[in-house]
Amino acid sequence: MEFEVTREDIRIAWLTALALGLYVLEMAFPSPLPGFKPGLANIVTVAALVCFGWATAAWIALLRVLAGSLLAGTFLSPGFALSLSGALASLMVLGLAVSVSRKALSEVGYSLLAALAHMGGQIGVAYCLFIPHTGLFKLLPVLMSAALVFGLLNGIIARSMTQVLLAK
Amino acid sequence: MTTADKVILVLALALIAALYAHFWAPAPMAESARVSSAGKPDLWLALGADRAVVIEGVLGPTDLEIRDGRIRFRRAPCLAKLCIHSGWLASDGDFAACLPNGVAVQVVGKGMGFDAINF
Repeated sequence: MEFEVTREDIRIAWLTALALGLYVLEMAFPSPLPGFKPGLANIVTVAALVCFGWATAAWIALLRVLAGSLLAGTFLSPGFALSLSGALASLMVLGLAVSVSRKALSEVGYSLLAALAHMGGQIGVAYCLFIPHTGLFKLLPVLMSAALVFGLLNGIIARSMTQVLLAK
Repeated sequence: MTTADKVILVLALALIAALYAHFWAPAPMAESARVSSAGKPDLWLALGADRAVVIEGVLGPTDLEIRDGRIRFRRAPCLAKLCIHSGWLASDGDFAACLPNGVAVQVVGKGMGFDAINF
């Protein structure tokens, strides 16, 4: 049986590899708080969203979560569930943002929305599945502040990335 | 940054400010405390009125004090006095126990669930 490999498949594979590289790089950084991560892999998701559309971005984000969990050895662990729920939440919000905003948003806006949705989705699932205690929400403002800062920075990086990509 | 980006940023800042205001507000005062004593049915104490309560534990009488919507162990016949050192129990879910004496106090607000689930 043979699969036909399209140009888009190859593009998704390359971009996913890039996202994975960033993900693994980020694992090397110490984290002061659980959940406190820059989320560099989302730079690739946002850049792909702007350059190639939502479907490509969704493929990259979900493949990155899957392959990243295999690399980190967390497949099907609670951490994987959180990672996946964050990715799904941010993809949903990005899909909504793309269809509603009609190019009014730039990478910065998308990245910001994605980061906040990612964090919100994760905390929601963490509350429902793992820590059903309202004390968890005490962390929400701090983590959301971090998401805002990292979302902005990632958006700025994604913007310079798309400018290079689209110039080619 | 486009105008829409700025709108998103302002909305995000407002959301975060609202989160701080909502989740970091002082916890509401607890309404009652559940006192368990070995071999006896649970005793529910309202925290509205200041008073002292004496509970008969395994080792002997144990004094609880209720003041300003809080409760604490004031005197207990145990050795380590860990229950007394736990201090005031004020917010929903706070817990202290005098194990040798078989007496436990938990402050209860609206809902009770698990503290955490670990894997």
